[in-house]
This record gives sequence, C-alpha cells and structure tokens, in this order.
Amino acid sequence: MSYTVSAAGPALPPARIVSLSPSTTEILFALGAGERIIGVTNYCDYPEEAKRKSKIGGMSNPSLEAVVSLKPDLVVMTTDGNPKEFEELLHTLHIRTFVFTARRIADLPQGIRELGAALLVRERAEALAKEMEHALARLGSGVKGHGPGKEKILYIIWPEPLIVAGPGTAMDDAITLLGRKNIASSASSAYPKYSLEEVLRQAPDVILIGKGSGMDMVEVSRGILKRMTSVPAVRNNNVCYLSDGLYRLGPRVVRGIEELAECLDRRSPR
Amino acid sequence: MSSVSRPNLLELAGVSYSYEKGRPFIHDLSFTVGEGDFIGLLGANGSGKSTIMKVASGLLRPSSGSVLLWGKDLAATRHKDRAKLISYLPQTLDISVPFTIRELVAMGLYPYDIPPAMSVDEALEMVGLTDKADAHLTDLSGGERRRTFIAMTLLQGAGLLMLDEPLANLDIKYQIELVRLLRKLRASRNISVVMALHDINIALQFEKVMLIKEGNLIGSGPPEAVLSRAMLKQAFDVDVDIRRPGNEGVSISYESQF
Amino acid sequence: MSRPKIAALILMPCLLFLCSLFLGPKAINPVGLSEIEREILVQIRLPRVLVAFLMGMALGASGAVLQGVLRNPLADPYILGISSGASLTAALGIIGGLTFLGAFTVPVLAFIGAIVTGSIVGAMGWKRGGLWPERLLLAGVGLSFLFSALLMLMMSISTDEGLRRAMLWIFGDLSMSEWQRVPYGLLFVMAGMALSVTRAKALNALILGDEFAHSLGFAPQRERSILFVSVGLMTAASVSLGGMIGFIGLLMPHIMRFFVGSDSRMLIPASAVGGGSLLCIADLVSRSVLPPMELPAGVITAIIGAPYFLYLLRRKHVLSF
Repeated sequence: MSYTVSAAGPALPPARIVSLSPSTTEILFALGAGERIIGVTNYCDYPEEAKRKSKIGGMSNPSLEAVVSLKPDLVVMTTDGNPKEFEELLHTLHIRTFVFTARRIADLPQGIRELGAALLVRERAEALAKEMEHALARLGSGVKGHGPGKEKILYIIWPEPLIVAGPGTAMDDAITLLGRKNIASSASSAYPKYSLEEVLRQAPDVILIGKGSGMDMVEVSRGILKRMTSVPAVRNNNVCYLSDGLYRLGPRVVRGIEELAECLDRRSPR
Repeated sequence: MSSVSRPNLLELAGVSYSYEKGRPFIHDLSFTVGEGDFIGLLGANGSGKSTIMKVASGLLRPSSGSVLLWGKDLAATRHKDRAKLISYLPQTLDISVPFTIRELVAMGLYPYDIPPAMSVDEALEMVGLTDKADAHLTDLSGGERRRTFIAMTLLQGAGLLMLDEPLANLDIKYQIELVRLLRKLRASRNISVVMALHDINIALQFEKVMLIKEGNLIGSGPPEAVLSRAMLKQAFDVDVDIRRPGNEGVSISYESQF
Repeated sequence: MSRPKIAALILMPCLLFLCSLFLGPKAINPVGLSEIEREILVQIRLPRVLVAFLMGMALGASGAVLQGVLRNPLADPYILGISSGASLTAALGIIGGLTFLGAFTVPVLAFIGAIVTGSIVGAMGWKRGGLWPERLLLAGVGLSFLFSALLMLMMSISTDEGLRRAMLWIFGDLSMSEWQRVPYGLLFVMAGMALSVTRAKALNALILGDEFAHSLGFAPQRERSILFVSVGLMTAASVSLGGMIGFIGLLMPHIMRFFVGSDSRMLIPASAVGGGSLLCIADLVSRSVLPPMELPAGVITAIIGAPYFLYLLRRKHVLSF
C-alpha cells in the first residue's frame, strides 16, 4: 500500500482542499472535512452539499486553471480516473497532492486512514475505517460454510450494449464477500462488453442492475431481460435494481453491499 | 429559297445561353448540320466552343432559341432516343475508376435494349484496339485513349458525333490518324462530325468551319473563305501569313509573331 | 466474369454465414441441439448473423454506389454525415427520455436522424436543378463535423454516465441484434440494393462524368438523385442496425474490383456480398477470441480487411493510377 504526499508532513491541517473524484469527495465529507473542500468535480453529487461547491471539470479532464485559481493547499486525487500527468502538473506549480490508491473494497479502510493522516484527522479516520472493517466482517461472516460459486450472479452496469461488472470491481468484491459467484469474474477486463449467449449458457440465478444516473433502469433494461427469459434469474424474477452505492469506493460502499445482501437474502435466504 | 422537304439533322435557331442570369455567353446563334457534314468549330480559348457543343447536344438547355434534331425539339426527345442519334464526347477524359477498354467501349450500347448490329469487338477492331481490349485506360497512349471513346461513340451508333477538342494533347501523328479514321467512317457509315478545334491548319482539312468569337458566330463556310487574315485577326487577335505553296494546298503560319 | 468467380461469390458468403452461425465462443453442433443451444442459435446467433450480413451488405453496396456518384475513390458512406446525424438524434432522444417505442427507440431515432441528415445534405448539394458531387461531399463533411461536435458537446456537458453508455452502440455494436430488427433492415437494404442495381448502367456512365452520362442517354441529375437516395436508405439502415463499422464502405468496393472488375452491375452486388461476409466473419472473431467478453466488430473488420487490402494495393489497378 503506497500513497504520496508530495511535501514533507504538514504543520497545519490543509484548509483549502480540492477533490478530483466523487469517491474522495464522499470520504472527505465523511471525515468531517466538508467545510474545508473548496472545489469538486462536475460529477460530485453526494452528499447534497457537494453540489454547491465550485466545479473544476470532469475526472479525466479537470481544468488546471480552475483548480489553481481556487488556491488549494491540497488536491486529493485518485488513481482510478484522474490522469497521472495532472498530478505532475500540480507539482510543477507547487501544489500539494494526495493520491488515493485504494481500488478494491478490502483496501478502502486503509486508504481512509492514510487520507485521514494527510488531513490530520487520524482519530476520525480510524473510527470510520474501523466501523467499515467491522461492517465488512459482519457482512462476510454469514457466508461461512456456504461454498463459493454456488449461487451465480450477474451485475449489469448497462443493458444495451450489455456491460457488466467484471473482475477487480467493487461489485465483484461485494459478490465474492457475500459468498456468491460473479459469472463475469473470469472476463479479461473490469467492465467487459459481455456476450449474451454466454449469459444464457452460464444461467445466473440472480441479476443485479446498477443505477444509471438520470435513466429509468427498469425501462432501459426491459429489452435485454426479455431476451434472457430462459435464464433462472429472470424466470424466477430474481432481478434487483440497486443504487450507485458500489460505484464509488467510499463510505457508502457498506450500504451498497448491504443493499446487495438484502436483495440476495430476499430472493434466496442464506 | 428552296422549300425544306426534309428537316436538317441538327438545326440551331437563335440560340442564346447564359451561365449567369442576364449575362449571355452564347448570343443568338443559328446554324445547321446536314448529313455527312464535317464541320470544324474554331475559336480562341473561352470563346464558347464547348458551350455551343453542349447546347447543341442537349446537355445544356438554351436560355432562348431552339435546338431541333431532325426537326424535333431536342429537349423533348427521350434521352435514350436522343442518344441513338447524337453523341457528345467531352474534352476531358479523367476517369478515376479502372474500367477496362472493353468495359468502356461496351457502354456505347447503353441506349439500346436490343443490341444493334455492331458488336464491341467490331468497334474495337475499327479503331484498332482489339489487342488492348482488356487493358486499362492508364496503360494506353493519348491517341489510344481518344480512340477508345471514339469506339464507344461508334458503338452508340449515333449519326452525329460532337467531339470537343478530340485532338488536344495528341501528337501530330495521332491527330492525323484520328481525322483519317473519322473521314473513313463518314465514307462507310455516313456519319456527321462537328469537332471543336484549336489548330488552324487542321481546320483547313474540314469542308466547313465555323469561327467563334465571344459566343458569336463570326464566320461560317469553306475554310479557304472563312480563314482569312482579317477574320483570324478578329477571332484570335494574331496576325497570320496565309501561304498557297502549291496549286491546291493552303497553309497558315504565324512564325513571324514569335 | 468467369464461372468459378461467380460460384465463389455465391458459395463463400454461404460458407461464412454458416461458420458464424455455428462457431462462436462455443461451437454448436447442429445435430442434437440441447434446449439452451437451440435458444442461443435461434434467438441470439441467427438474428445477429443476419443483421451483421445485412449491415455489411448495405455498407459495401452503398460504398460502391457513393464512390461512383461522387466520382471519388475515397468516399465512404459515413462521409455524408448520415452517421453523425443518426447518433445525434439518438442521443437527443435518450436525453429527452423518449422511449416511445421501447427497445426500438434507438434504432428508429437513428434511422430518422440518418434520413433527415441525408435530406439536408441532398438539399445543400442541390443547385441549378441538380445534385453536384463536390457540393454533396462538402455539405456532408461540413454537416458531419457540426453534428459530431454537437454530440461531443452534449457528452461533455452532461454528467450523465447513462448517456455515455447508451451511446456506445454508435461505435459499432451487433450484440443488440434481435429478430425485430431483421424485417426493417431487410426492407431498407433491399430497397436500396434494388434501386442501385437497376441504375447500375447509369452509375457506370456517371463515373465517366455527366457529359458522358448525358451522351449515353441518361439524365445525369435524375440518375444521381436516385442513386443518392439508395445510398441514403442503405447507410441509414446500416447505422440504425448496428452503429458505425468502418472499413467496409470505403475499401470493400476496391477489394471487389480485383475480382469482378469495375462494372457497377457486378461491383454493387459483389461489394454487398463481400461486405456482408466480412462483417459476419469479423463479428464471429469479435465474440470468439476473448469469451465471454466481446470486442468491437469494427476493430476486427479493419484488422482482417486492412492488411489484405494493402497487399492488393501493391498490385495494379486498385485505382486507375
């Protein structure tokens, strides 16, 4: 686990923070640093207060000018979506950065601790990380004796064209944590365009459909589900529509896993 | 004035044409082409030779006046019927698709639902391109390229050939060859030819020349009569010497102008 | 055209069609089908292979026609801006929440956008009572830039992940092919084919130039307009069937000139059959190499097609120079 704080440890806690991803924004708010955030991306819409912060552009194309003009004393970035070059640009302008490197659910608590250290809110971060570790342990404990790969799950990110959650994603981690088998975990990319005939062949027992912002997923998914009528999940009406909790590796991940677990338990009690 | 018992092959009466409204390019032009005529259309660059040929072949509609083909309005003639009577060979032959010579020549049959007597092979034979049938245009010399399209036109079977500068960019040898070929065809198939020209000396080989200046017909008749020093000065703005070295031959030279 | 060539042009596509039907992430043995195999074959593969073939046909044929109509060997059906118009309309529909036709919404919107764009290009290419190749080409390029820019603008402003995903199909996607798409695809592609094949002589003449076309007994402007409509129909249908697949429209006509010559009467059907076969085989590869993941078919099309085309280019007469 590595992270970078460009300058030597700060004497004073950073007071003007720019966050370059929705997940780090959510973590910063959860650490009680919301007041200190002065800039966020256009995509940062949680919590509600985040929407009222200055916008600095997208994740992959933040505006350097917008960031610099806010005169931040810390820019929080992520390896999952921000360009590496942007970090270097900020360094040449002597702007301190913190790069959040956790990309898996298991790494999240440690990532939160490190961010807390950078913000000089160690206790708060430790509490949040602990709480999260307990929650993850609790959620994972129910699966003892439940052989992995028993119940087959497909997590649909987008129905047409069919994009699913593959290996290395929080969705895949959550499914594994809950003792189920993600049928797409053997795919060769994180969000593969998935073969419809393979779905039929692999016959998932439960289909999860993630939230697409601004879209009615029930409506958008109708077509693809109609073509999957022979799949057990669809035949037995084991299809759940979920929130975007697992899309952002932040404090809401726990809620996202719980939501997933509720769906699975409702359909097929462990 | 003798009564017209039979209409002319082609008759232009008071034809004007303008590319832009109110600025006529061709002014009140009238002339006729009879069967077996061999007419040279002579004039400086931009004098309107091509435009006259396009109007006369129906490609451009006259702004005023009439073009009659065998006494009937050309514009009212069905496209396919018109194509069987009159064909127009444009000046530029730039073709970006690699058709074979045979494919190109065979297009002469397009106006026909039932193929006419002549076959593609005969047309190729007539212009001496039999052994080039499967070659492409780019493999051919300038003269052979012209002959390819002449063969297409022959297969098309039209009685009137409108040829726009067919001798341009050809060596003298090919120029002579092409004019001889057309004469031979006139003898054997009674075709009529209207040909736009640059070379004044070649115009002397025609029975009739029409001298064009700025869209006006300034002279028409046998070359000896039309191509006078004064007329050529008017049409080309060049002083020429007209020599009559032998009993019959005439030659026009302009060396003194260099 | 020799008999073996004609036979090859008929047998090869049939063989490739069957290959892409029975091969795939897992080969299916047509004898003794299991329930699941039957469903995959009938409900997933068959419509998909048909849509791929139709789409490839439309692209190959419209490329052959358009290169003649515009007298430009570099013309590609997408150059007319039809695809940009289709994607813009589809995106606007998605943003506007138009779901009036369910699963049909996107293809129908795309088709409408394509036809409207084609008509605008036609109207802008129209002057002095006719369509002019250079005007058409420039109007198409101009409109294409404008519509792509508007689409990019929408994508940039919108923070909507869904829109981005919903627009993925435009970069070429056959995975959504289903039976409902086959009839209208068939209708428009066949209408365009019929229109262009019956006008193939006129197209040959137009390739030589308007003067030749006129001299050979055609009304150049009328013929060009009809051929333009056929290109519009086929391109619109292909975009609506599966987004944009590059390479086929531009290069299949050139490849086919080697086999059947330049006569449009053979070239149009041959480019259609060649385009259909290539897209079928490219789609087969795209869904078979890294299962269960699917690769974009357009990428495979170019990877298979381009080296072959470059090899052919080393020989003479792809172009006339």
